[in-house]
Amino acid sequence: MSKVAMDRLAEATPQRLARGVRGLSDRALAWIFVGPTIVLLLAINIFPLIWTIGLSFTNFRVNRPNEDIRFVGTQNYTRILTDTDIWLSMQATAHFLFWTLFLQIVIGFWLAWLINRKFRGNDLWTTIIVLPMMLSPAVVGNFWTFLYQPQIGLFNYAVGFLTGQDPSSFSMIADVSLAPWSIVIVDTWMWTPFVMLICLAGLRSIPDSIYEAAECDRASPFRQFWTITVPMVLPFLMLAVLFRGIENFKMFDLVVQLTGGGPGSLTEVTSINLKREAFEKWRTGYSSAYAIILFVTVYGLAAIYVKALNRVKQR
Amino acid sequence: MADVVLNAVTRTFGAVTALDQVSLTVPDGGFVVLLGPTGAGKTTVLRMVSGLDRPDAGDIHIGGRRVTDLSPAERNVAMVFQQYSLYPHLTVRENLAFPLKSPILRTPPAEIERKVRQVAETLQIAHKLDNRATALSGGEMQRVSIGRALVRNPAVYLMDEPLSSLDAKLRADLRIELKRIQADTGATFLYVTHDQIEAMTMATRVGVLDEGVLVQVGSPREIYENPVSVYAASRLGQPRINLLPADLFAGAPPAARTIGLRPEQIRQGEGEESVVTRVERLGDQTRLHLDFRSHAIVTVTEPHTPLATGDIVRIRPERPFYFDASGARVP
Repeated sequence: MSKVAMDRLAEATPQRLARGVRGLSDRALAWIFVGPTIVLLLAINIFPLIWTIGLSFTNFRVNRPNEDIRFVGTQNYTRILTDTDIWLSMQATAHFLFWTLFLQIVIGFWLAWLINRKFRGNDLWTTIIVLPMMLSPAVVGNFWTFLYQPQIGLFNYAVGFLTGQDPSSFSMIADVSLAPWSIVIVDTWMWTPFVMLICLAGLRSIPDSIYEAAECDRASPFRQFWTITVPMVLPFLMLAVLFRGIENFKMFDLVVQLTGGGPGSLTEVTSINLKREAFEKWRTGYSSAYAIILFVTVYGLAAIYVKALNRVKQR
Repeated sequence: MADVVLNAVTRTFGAVTALDQVSLTVPDGGFVVLLGPTGAGKTTVLRMVSGLDRPDAGDIHIGGRRVTDLSPAERNVAMVFQQYSLYPHLTVRENLAFPLKSPILRTPPAEIERKVRQVAETLQIAHKLDNRATALSGGEMQRVSIGRALVRNPAVYLMDEPLSSLDAKLRADLRIELKRIQADTGATFLYVTHDQIEAMTMATRVGVLDEGVLVQVGSPREIYENPVSVYAASRLGQPRINLLPADLFAGAPPAARTIGLRPEQIRQGEGEESVVTRVERLGDQTRLHLDFRSHAIVTVTEPHTPLATGDIVRIRPERPFYFDASGARVP
């Protein structure tokens, strides 16, 4: 009989090593396997986190390494939480979060619902719809700055064509009232397909026979939608909200490419704000505290949300 | 309640003819059982009557009204699916109440609760009312599925092998229960099964389906005692009818190719010799497995027979069925 790879490996193992391995308990072997991962996690996740927490209580500035590091207690935290500029950027983030999630869920679910009807070429349509998601955010941001151009931009032209307005009379990126929406539109354009895919998975998980039973139970299409489709897709929808929410909370690349936080600091979402504090103003201790506050916010919101999600799934 | 009439209903799926000119009447208050193996078209008939699927040709009438082009809701039918099709995100109570909450019915909440409880008690699932539908065993799911049909008062009940996943005792209980409900309410049932005991005990009429063709319709007794073909004869009877070459015994008509012998058509103690190969004692009856000129025959004998393997038994056909080369009955 021919030898399997495992046997050959066993034979090729040097005697001393083989004896050593044979002497190990299961538990020791398990530690050998997970050890490298744990070490890596400690080095690149846990240690920086703890270090950041430490820094957040100091006045440390990374561009002044020779200066004495002074412990300042919770001073960084109180300053951040009472800073109106930071609250403004929080508001900008919340506005951005709310509208992107709202639009992406509504449109994504609607698209999924359309695609899920069996028609010819729906696979092709799925591929086409999913395309924006495949692009790099930097590229998307760059392209949309062209589309938003008042003189030559396709977006302005299309709006002008539909409303009769002069395309060069407004600038999505530079107008104070439009700039926040310019980001919402691009993010929605780019990430709605993601929500659609998740919703589609949810819709496809509902067997036809349940709709058939509902039809025999004399449920109208409207009632079927609200009592079967929506509740059964809800866990998937909530998952999509979780993914998109966490992603958009730390939105950076698209905004930098599109508006750079402007006009003024109107679209300066927290991630950009934080980056400025940390790497333009070099207030390392201060921005560490800022990062910790953001982390606790996202983590707290996500934890509450995951609990709700689990409750929906168990229902 | 209403009668159901299928008139030359045909349905094809691509190259496969699922139903071929099926004409069948379920009288008002009747209990018609469709019998046939997997793929015979039984479920397709139910889907035609329910409106979940439409015939390519032919007409369907419920209560004298032509319903061929109507939706399931407009037909007012209740269907029990073989794969349960419960609403997984709802509790048992909500599943049972779902059909009653239809805006068409406008059932008051107290009435819904009363009906749900009554049906749950009938089906022995009252203690599970607040469980989620997915947190049930297969048998319990099936009972909820039956219950969802029973809470309503539809024109006709359509049931697709509703007892197939229940254990033997529950199956026997529910068989009687369903029959009782049908007798009490005068409901019309169209019931699909491959279980001949269900067919024999519940049906007022049995329809035998063979690859989309309704080969025989009649009372269970008629089909048992007067089958039109080998196929129909093999649907009913336990142990199954013995099918042997017709020339094995003397006296076969010229066209006969096959002789069909049910146990009661085998007279023991007379005729030609056969060898007992096995004795199966089932309690109320004892089955004899015989070897007759290298053909296996299964028959029934008295429970306390002294016969044992290797004994010789004489057998003689008594008013047997004869079938021709195509399987049709030869008179």
